[in-house]
Amino acid sequence: MKTDELIDRLGRDVTVTRPLPPPGTRTVMWMVWAGMYLVVVTVMMFVVMSSAGMVPTPSYLVQQSAAILTGVVAARAAFLSVIPGASGRVWVLPAIGVVTWAATLLWSGVLDLQASGTFGVTSQSDWPCVVSMTVGGVVVGAPFFWMLRRGAPLTPGLTAFLAALAALSVANIEACLTRPHAFALTVLLWHGGTVAAVAALCALLGHRWLQWPDMTTQ
Amino acid sequence: MDESPPDEHLSRLMARAQQGDSHAYVTLLRAITPRIRQFVRARRGFLGAADVEDIVQEVLLSVHAVRATYDPARPLMPWLSAIVRHRLADAGRRHVRQRAHEIGVDDLDVTFQAPPANNREETFGDPDALAQAIQALPPGQRQAVELLKLRELSLKQASGLTGMSIGALKVATHRAIASLRRALQGTDDE
Repeated sequence: MKTDELIDRLGRDVTVTRPLPPPGTRTVMWMVWAGMYLVVVTVMMFVVMSSAGMVPTPSYLVQQSAAILTGVVAARAAFLSVIPGASGRVWVLPAIGVVTWAATLLWSGVLDLQASGTFGVTSQSDWPCVVSMTVGGVVVGAPFFWMLRRGAPLTPGLTAFLAALAALSVANIEACLTRPHAFALTVLLWHGGTVAAVAALCALLGHRWLQWPDMTTQ
Repeated sequence: MDESPPDEHLSRLMARAQQGDSHAYVTLLRAITPRIRQFVRARRGFLGAADVEDIVQEVLLSVHAVRATYDPARPLMPWLSAIVRHRLADAGRRHVRQRAHEIGVDDLDVTFQAPPANNREETFGDPDALAQAIQALPPGQRQAVELLKLRELSLKQASGLTGMSIGALKVATHRAIASLRRALQGTDDE
């Protein structure tokens, strides 16, 4: 087909198209969903399973704040990465978020060492949290990927990685709320390992999930 | 480049296209096509005209598919350039993957007898006859062959462009191939 013919056909196909909301707005929309998920799970755990009574320590609050921050900046970066012509270094802020999050956990680990004389690395395996985070990540992340598919898959691997990082940051908060940990290094190793493994898997599969929209979907 | 419309004008055209203005959209696509072609040639000088045109068309399809990502408050060219850059990179990766799966046949004549030059019986026949036979097909069958066999679009893409169902495209292609085979056998017999 000649290019002029293609242009004529595309012209005939054009319909009213609502521009995507800005990445910040889309981040807020997704965070509302993620927040609802957190509220529902927390209420279920505290009311139905009567696990109330956990008193949040300052270091715990700092860790969770860092996780929320990482989730927010990763989500915004993922939405930004599907906009052609947006910043090419969208990964910088999420990287800072991850480093901050890891640093808060390491610092809490040092405090654990001072208080208990051990990092507690071998004291607790955490497979329930791995399962909980993975399931929670799917629940929170599925709508995220659905939203991303309206964008341009310029860097599908990076976009999928950032989306998974955002979803798992939220799922991490849920796991920490519902299953308190005695040692911060357990969280760093098990939760951090889960985030790294699932996000890496999503990065590998990103090009399958985020493809250039087919003409039939227009 | 000096005669090309200014970026603000292109942005306005895209904003109108997002509101469903077909005329503005065609005007926009015609205005940006030479720029895309120039960009592709500058980055991939080694490509032939047909390959350049394939990438240009791929970019136009991509622009169409993700036009919702354009923010009318921003200039159009950075948005368009990003799409062109990434589609060029995609085309490069696709080329590398295809090359990695190809098998060199330089030594073919060691195992097989090399076919004599210009042996039309061994190939698909006379290219002119093939072109004429394609032109003689009914419009639906001709379009199916052009999109699926010559341009190698997927069934979904061809369906999107023509409005025909995938099943109808398959039937049209099957009939077209049968018609072409009959037509070309007829010319060979002569």
